[in-house]
This record gives sequence, structure tokens and C-alpha cells, in this order.
Amino acid sequence: MARVALFDPCYLGTLRPADASHAMRVLEALGDEVTLIDGRCCGQPSYNSGFRPEAKRVALSLLREARHHDVIVTTSGSCTSMVTHFVPGLFEGSRRDGAARIARRFREFASYVAAHPGLDSLALMLEGTVVYHDSCHQRRELGGTDEVLTLLGKIELLEVRRLTYEAECCGFGGAFTVKLPEVAAEMMTAKLDDIRASGAKVAVSTDFSCLGHLEAGARGTGQTLETWTIAELLAKALG
Amino acid sequence: MTTYHERAANEIATEHPSRTVTPIMRKLVEDSRAMLRKSPADARQRAEAARADAIGRLEELHTQVRANFERRGIGYHRANTPADAVRIIRDLLGDAKRVAKSKSMVGEEVGLTHALRDAGIDLLETDIGEYIVDIEGRGPSHITAPALHLNRARIREMLARNGGDLPDDDPVRLSRYVRDVVGRFFQDCDAGITGANAVVARSGRVMVVENEGNVSLGASHPKLHIVITGLEKVVADEAGALAILEVLAPSATAQPLTSFSHFLADPDPGQQRHVVFVDNGRSAIAAGKYHDVLRCIRCGACMNACPVYRAAGGLSYGSPYMGPIGAVLSPLLWKDGRYADLPLASSLCGRCTEVCPVGIPLHRMLLDLRADSVRAGQTGSRLERLAWQAWSLAFEGPTRARASAALGRIGLNGGRRVFRTHGTATDPRVLPAAGVPERDPANLVADARRPDSVTVIAPDEIEPPDLVDLFRLRAAALGVTLLDHHDPREGDRVLRATAGIAATGSVLLTGEAAARRPLLGARRVVVFLDPAALVRYPSGLAPHLGDGDCLVLTGASRTADIEKQIVRGIHGSEELAVVLEGAR
Repeated sequence: MARVALFDPCYLGTLRPADASHAMRVLEALGDEVTLIDGRCCGQPSYNSGFRPEAKRVALSLLREARHHDVIVTTSGSCTSMVTHFVPGLFEGSRRDGAARIARRFREFASYVAAHPGLDSLALMLEGTVVYHDSCHQRRELGGTDEVLTLLGKIELLEVRRLTYEAECCGFGGAFTVKLPEVAAEMMTAKLDDIRASGAKVAVSTDFSCLGHLEAGARGTGQTLETWTIAELLAKALG
Repeated sequence: MTTYHERAANEIATEHPSRTVTPIMRKLVEDSRAMLRKSPADARQRAEAARADAIGRLEELHTQVRANFERRGIGYHRANTPADAVRIIRDLLGDAKRVAKSKSMVGEEVGLTHALRDAGIDLLETDIGEYIVDIEGRGPSHITAPALHLNRARIREMLARNGGDLPDDDPVRLSRYVRDVVGRFFQDCDAGITGANAVVARSGRVMVVENEGNVSLGASHPKLHIVITGLEKVVADEAGALAILEVLAPSATAQPLTSFSHFLADPDPGQQRHVVFVDNGRSAIAAGKYHDVLRCIRCGACMNACPVYRAAGGLSYGSPYMGPIGAVLSPLLWKDGRYADLPLASSLCGRCTEVCPVGIPLHRMLLDLRADSVRAGQTGSRLERLAWQAWSLAFEGPTRARASAALGRIGLNGGRRVFRTHGTATDPRVLPAAGVPERDPANLVADARRPDSVTVIAPDEIEPPDLVDLFRLRAAALGVTLLDHHDPREGDRVLRATAGIAATGSVLLTGEAAARRPLLGARRVVVFLDPAALVRYPSGLAPHLGDGDCLVLTGASRTADIEKQIVRGIHGSEELAVVLEGAR
């Protein structure tokens, strides 16, 4: 159907090297022709720490690669938000306009799939129960919560539970989690409690950054928790 | 000076603020949202527009304020620095010895309480929460609920330390004990100092909101009333001030309006009134890229919603201004770098920006401030800079990036065997696993949901279309007695309202009817209200405000300074009755 690029963000590529292949499988099932962009970063880690020239350098490398594509599907809400909302501001004048033109082509994976014309022809089925973790970037920066939930609703036999305190941050926040670990852990504990209360043992989200942090906490506290990206969930639901 | 990290880690380890704060804030944020739904749909836009307009023409509005103050006989003063503010107020106080102060964030900013006490003045904090934290000595932990970090048992201890003999820690008893101490002080004091929520340029009136009645006493009782406020607190007209009222109390405390909303005009005969506007860098902020932060109306919604505030509490910020607004404002007001690390006290979740009723892009500002402080060399060590430079070189191109990712996986998986195989007491996380995770199909079978974890969303109230019905509903919710006719009782203060607000259950008193001393001295306040004078929302009051002294009463005086539990009847009567004339 469409020719798209799949941007496999740096941290995801590092921590969950199979995730890009899950996403690729889903996009191909939808009929897209997919080119992988890996080994790149949106610049968010250093941007959030206040180091902007360093962020600009890596973001520029991503944009240079992305400019050859009309749509760049990104398997992370937070990277999508970084590119669309913040990367253009790293540049001045006409280069900012150019950056903004490329940045607008980035789409968060779940929202992209939810709006895909090929979606209704897919047979998605997975028996079981998961709980949805709404990342702050998905919810507030991208405003894409409803799209994700609609998408998840299309998976037959799957029960998707919602968290009681869905709007609350899990405490990852990139550099935040490293610089203020005690504060991050407090926030994480609250989120893990909420997940435990939901009864589900599989948490799904568009952002693996949140999930990795929650999984690390669950492991440390002995809570049974698998964390799946939406790409992994959909790939499994394809059968 | 300690860092935010040190203070937060210590606070979590010793006080565990989240235990007290999180349940309160979770409820408050939901209640606030529900209360805002009862405000007009465009309230936030109007409040934001009123604040943005004022920030865009501060000096022009101040010229108007000054002219109107002159007409009314209110003293106009401007302090460039905290030291100026203290000096001006000391001069204004003259030989006043006993001073009753109500809550003012600018007062905290300039260190007013300590400075005046050092000058030999017997100053009493008259807000119940402030009175308590004043004894504790660590300062307020929240801008609208100063003693939020203390539970009732701790508060009882604090009060006992100051001679309070209290048989138990019932918040009603504790609140009334402080009320009585404050009430006695007011019987014999020389001056009152209050803050302000807005100063209306067009009329030269000072808008102040409060729940307890201590501002009512401070502004009317002593011979001298001094207002201390920020330079940015001006607003063009009454419509702007009312727009702020429509969002302020719902955002702050999930109330429709506070018990008392004052529009203070001419001083009483024999009374002097002065307003001290503190600049302390605000003119410079107004001229720079962070000017939108000056829109702030100090409602505290950002800290109520902030997960970092909940986790580490308000005292960790080490600043009079805490939470997201504090993390933005503190480094801008104190340019010496002491608060340069506060912008890091955010996971950038953006909830502060979402709830801000005047549209301040708080989390975006936090990001910009981080970059500013790194550029200025106030945060970001050389080691951190080197690390980011190395990182940016690694991720500049795919080859090095793929290699770094592979190395990262090896490092993490190796590291997991050596350290952080178990979490620590304050951080239970272990290092994340890198690779293809194992999956157990059994985990797709969930347990039952814990029954107490089901989200309860309060259904939207069906709003009666008739204003009288709406007024009755909302006033009754505030504990107002609704009467068909008045059976006089001894000690009644009988007044006639100029107007009423249906959506908030409030009555507007103007001129002589607004006199605060007899109002607070009454056993019962009975207000006659003509149903034809009802407006739907606070913004509808604009044509009724005239040019003089006004007071909007919304329920009896109350406090929620102890564990957010509402205690009615602080200064003034517990009973407010409204007689709707000629209505069913």
C-alpha cells in the first residue's frame, strides 16, 4: 500500500532488538513496503538534560536519513514527540522550517496502525488479559490515547484493562530516572501498585522507556510483570 | 547549600511524603476537574487572556493603579528588591508593635516574617496552616496548604510545643484552637499585613481571596492595612479579576469560590491602606522569554497534579515556591544559581501544563531552563558534558550507533550479573535485561481486579436550568441555610445582597453591607437576596460591583489546613442563612 520507513529508536534497538521485527511484521501485514532506519537517535536524552548542541548533532543525523521518506513510523511515543515538537527548535531560520517539514512526517506506530486503511482486513486475535499503560508522551504530547485504545479494541478475545491512575507518570522521564532515582522509584512504586491492583500480569504501552523502567522495578520487587510494546502485542495477535 | 537531589532523597527516606500527600492530591485533582466543569466553558481562556494581557502591559496598568490609589487614598509603593520591600514595610509600620500577618507567597519570597521579627516586631501568622508551619520552622510545603506535609498527630505535637493543651488531635479542635489564639491577637494589634490575588487597574481595588476570615480581620480591624504582592498581580478590569476567580478556587482547592472574595476599595475612616508591589526581577522576566510564567495566579494546581511533588514533597524544593511553578520561578527570581537544579525535578510528564488554568507551558519552560543552566555552567558537570559529547558522537551515525547498542547490551547483561542484581531500599530497580525476553503464556491470564481499584468517576450533576434552583443546590452544598422567611434571633446580622451567583451559591455584599467587623462578630449572618439579582457565574457580577468595597460570600468561613479536612466556622459565624425573597 504505502512506502514507509520504520524508525527503531536507539534505546529500543539496544534493549529489545527484536521489537523492530515485530513492528515490521505488522506493517507488512498491512501491506506497507518498509525500510528500516536504525542506529539513530532523536536526541532526547541529552536534550532533556539541557545539552542541546549534542542533541542537535544526533537529531540532524536522524533527519538526514528521514528526509528520503514520506512517512516515518516510530515505535516510541516519546521519540515521536521529541522529533515533532522539539527537534525543529534546535535549528535556526530556514533550517528550522526544513527540519519542521521532515519532523511532521513522523508518526507514532500505534496511531499510524490505528488509522491504516488496511487495518480492518487484518485478523487480530489473542486470548488473554493485558493492562494498558498510557505514556505521558502518548497522552499529553501526542494526544493519541484514544487511537491506541481503539486499536487494542480490535484484537479479538483480548481484554484490555485500564489503570485507575492512568494519567499518572510512571517515573521514568529519561535522565530524570538516573539523576533522581529515589523520586523516580517512588513514582514507579505507585504505578506498579496500580498495575498489581488491575490483576493483569502483562502491561502494554507505546513507550518501551516506561516499560523497561517498570519491568526493572517489578523484577527488583518480585512482582510478576511482562512488558510488551504495542508492536509485540500486535505481532502476537497476527498469529 | 544542598542540592534538590539530596533534599528529596532525605525527605523520602525520613518523612516519606507520598504516604500523606498522594491520596489527598489524587482526590483533589479529580475534585478540581469536576468543579471546573461547573465553571463556564470559556473560563480558562478568559483567565489566561486577562493574565496575558496584564503581563503585556504591566507599566501601563501600574500607571492606572497608581492614579486610582491616589483617588482612594491608598498608598502605592514599589520595591525593587526583597530588602527594599522589608524596609518599606518597616517604615510604614512606624511604631506598630503587634502585627497580624495573613498568608502571602511574596511575603515568603522576601523573608518578611523573619525580617520584621528581627526588627523587634511581634508578628503572628494568622492563617492556620502558616501558624502551624511557623512553629515547626521548616516553612510551607504547599502554596495554598502550607501544613500539608503534617498529619493531625504531628500538628497536635507542634501546638503542644507552643503551649496548646489539646486532649486529642481532632482537626476541628486543632483548627479552633489556632483560631482562638489568632482571634485574641486580633483584639489588640496595630497592623494587618495581607497578600493580594489581583489589583484591578481600572478601579484601583485589591482582590484578595481567603477561607478563614483572617484576611477579613487583617484588612479591616487594625488602623493600618499593608498589602504585599508581586508586581505582576495587576489585571486590567473587573471582568479579568472575575475570570481569575472562576478558575482560582476550583483549581486550588476544588471549591467554587473561597468563603470570602474581597474587592477592597477605600480605607475605612481612620484606617490607612498601603500596597507594596515587589519587583525582585519580575520586570526583567516580563521582558524575557519566560514572561508567560508571570501569568501565574498561585492556585497550586500544578503541584497538586505533579508526581514529583507528591513523591518528594514540597519542602524538598528548598524554595518558597515549590512544585512545577516553583521549579520554573525560583531559578528566575534567584539568579545566583541556588535553584538552578530545580528544573531537573520533573519527569516532564506535562501534567502541570495540562492543569494550569492560565495556560503556562510549565514543562516546556523546565526544558528551556535546563538548557539555560547548562549553558551558564550552573548545572551539568564537566564529566556529564564529556559523557554527552561521547554519546552524541556514538549516535551521530548508524555504524557507531549499532556498535554502541551491541556494547550496551553486553555491558548491561554483564552488569546485571555483577551489580544491581537486587535493588536498594530506596530504589528497588535492578538493571534492565537486554535481548529477547522470555514470555510465559500463563501471564496472559490475569487475576481479578482488586475491588478498590475501580475508577470512580463522579457523574456530572444535572444542572437545573432555573437560576434559583441552581443557587439553592449549590448553596446547600456549601452548608448555607436556605430560608423562606427570617425569624429573627439574637445576634443576627441581617444584610441585603446586591446580587447572587447561582453556580457558586454566593452572595455579593457591597458598601456598608460588606463591613467585615460586624459580619465576623455576628452569631448568624442572614442575607436577603432578590432572585431577580441572580447571575449564573461570577463573571456575571461585573455590572454589580460598582466602584466601592465589595465582598462575595460563599458559605461560612472554613479551613482545610489540617489533612484537607473541612472545618466550618473559623473567624465568624458557622451559620450563613440566605432568604430568597418571593421565591417558592
